[in-house]
Amino acid sequence: MHDRIAHQAAEWIVQLSADDGADRAYARAGFEAWKNADPRHAAAAARMQGLIDQTQLLRHDASAASPAAPAHAALTLLRATGRKQGRVKRAGAALAMALVLAFPAWLTWQSYPPAYLMADLHTRTGQWETRTLDDGTRVTLKSASAVNLRFDAQRRSLELVHGEMLVEVAPDAARPFVVETAHGSIRALGTRFVVDREAHDTVLTMLESRVLVQTASQASAATGTGGTAGTVVHAGQRLRIGTHTLSPIEDIDRRSIEDAWKFHQLVVQNRPLPEVLDELDRHRPGHIRYDRAQLEGIRVSAVLPLNDTDRALQLLVDSLPMLRVRTLTSYLVTVDTQMQEP
Amino acid sequence: MIAVESAVQQQVHALYCDHHGWLFGWLRKKLGCAHNAADVAHDTFLRIMVSRDALCAMHEPRAYLTTTAKRLMLDRARRQRIEQAYLAELTLLADGLEGFPSPEQILVAVQALEHISTALQGLQPKPREAFLLHYLDGQTHAAIASQFNVSTRMVQKYLAQALLHCHQALEGPT
Repeated sequence: MHDRIAHQAAEWIVQLSADDGADRAYARAGFEAWKNADPRHAAAAARMQGLIDQTQLLRHDASAASPAAPAHAALTLLRATGRKQGRVKRAGAALAMALVLAFPAWLTWQSYPPAYLMADLHTRTGQWETRTLDDGTRVTLKSASAVNLRFDAQRRSLELVHGEMLVEVAPDAARPFVVETAHGSIRALGTRFVVDREAHDTVLTMLESRVLVQTASQASAATGTGGTAGTVVHAGQRLRIGTHTLSPIEDIDRRSIEDAWKFHQLVVQNRPLPEVLDELDRHRPGHIRYDRAQLEGIRVSAVLPLNDTDRALQLLVDSLPMLRVRTLTSYLVTVDTQMQEP
Repeated sequence: MIAVESAVQQQVHALYCDHHGWLFGWLRKKLGCAHNAADVAHDTFLRIMVSRDALCAMHEPRAYLTTTAKRLMLDRARRQRIEQAYLAELTLLADGLEGFPSPEQILVAVQALEHISTALQGLQPKPREAFLLHYLDGQTHAAIASQFNVSTRMVQKYLAQALLHCHQALEGPT
C-alpha cells in the first residue's frame, strides 16, 4: 500500500515537468485531485518535491555557462563513495580521488609554470628559504619562487624563473656574478640586492654596493660587439627592468626592506591594492579572488605580515573600511568593496 | 516520565565522567588536532543522548563510543569532500559568475548536496543520470531520451524510479 502510493506520487511528479505544455496542465490538475484524495498521498509527494526543489536550487546562476557544474562535481565524487564497493565503484572512487588530488596539482600548474617545477631551487607557497651556495653566496627565496644555477669556471649565473629573492653575493674576483631573468640581467659588483620577477618586468632593489643592469635587448646587442653597455644602480635605489627599457630610478628606504626580509613582511608605499593582494596571494596556500578593475584605484601604504596572510587581510580591512573580505574556506577568499551610493 | 528522564541523564552523566577524557585522548591521537577531537567527542555524546535506547543496551561503552565517533568522523570527512569538490569547481567557474555565492549560500548548497547524495546512494546509473540531467541541469525529457538513445517514455520511467528510490532512501530517521 505504502509503496503503491509512493509509486503513484513519482509518476505524477514526473508528468508535472513533461516537455509538452498540455501534458503538464493535465498532470497539474490530476496531481492536485490525487493529493486531496488522501493525506498520505500529499505526504509522499512532499518529500519527493522537497528533494527536487533542493536539487533545482543548486543551479544558482543560470547565466553562467555551466551553472550546475559545482553540484555535479560534488555528486560525482560522492557516487564513488557509496556503501557497496563493487569493482566499478572502486574504479570510480579512484577516479574521483584522482580528481580531488589533481585539483591542488591543477592550482599548482596554474600558479607555477613548468619551469618553476623543474628549477634547481624552489620554494612552495608560504615557504621562505635561505640557501648558501657553493661559492658562499646566500640566496633567500620568498614564497613560490624558483631559480636555476649555472656556475662554472668563468662565471656564476643565477636565473630567477619565478618569484622574488634576496641575494648576498660572495666576492670572487675571478668569476662575475650575474642574475638573469627574461627581462634583463644584473651583474653584481660584490653586493646585496633583491630581485623580483614579475609578469612584465623585473624589479631590482639595491641594498648594498652597486650592480650593472642590462635589458635583454641590450644584452643581446652587447654579445655582438663585446661591449658592456648598461646602467649602474647604487644602494638605496630601485628600478624596473623591462625587456627593452629601464624605468627611472627611484629612491627606497633600505632599512624597511631589510626588515621586511628579516621578519617576512610586505612593505608597500602608495601601491595599488591589486598589487598588494597579488603579493599576499603568492604567500597563501589558497586563492584570493578579486576584481582588479574595482580595486585598482585604491592605494595602500602598509607593512603586512606575509607569514600570516589572514592577519594581513584583517589589517587591510582595518585601514580601508570600504573593503570587504569574505572567507569562504581557508583556501578561497574574496575581496571587494562595499560602495555606498553617492 | 520524570524518573525515566533522570535515569537517562544519570546514565549519560556517568558515561561522560567515566569515558569523555579517554574518548578525547583517543580522538586526538586519531585526528592529530585537539580542536577537532573536542568537537567530535562532543558530537558523539550528543548523538548518544539523542538515541536513548542505545544507552540502555550499552554493554561495552568504549567500543560503542569509538564506533559512534568513527561514524561521525566519516560524516565530517564526507561533508568536507563535498564542500571541497563544490568549491573547487566553483572557483574554476568563478570568473563566469555574476557574483560569487555568499558563505551562507554555500553552506545551504553543501547541505543540499549531502542530502541529495544520500538520497541517490545505491541508485542505478541510468535513473541517477536522468534525475540529475533533468532536475539539476534542466534538460527536457526528449533531450535526455536522445542522449540515452531511448524513448521519452523510458526516460520518464527512469525519473519515476529515481524519485521512488530517493523517497525510500530518505525514509526513517532523517
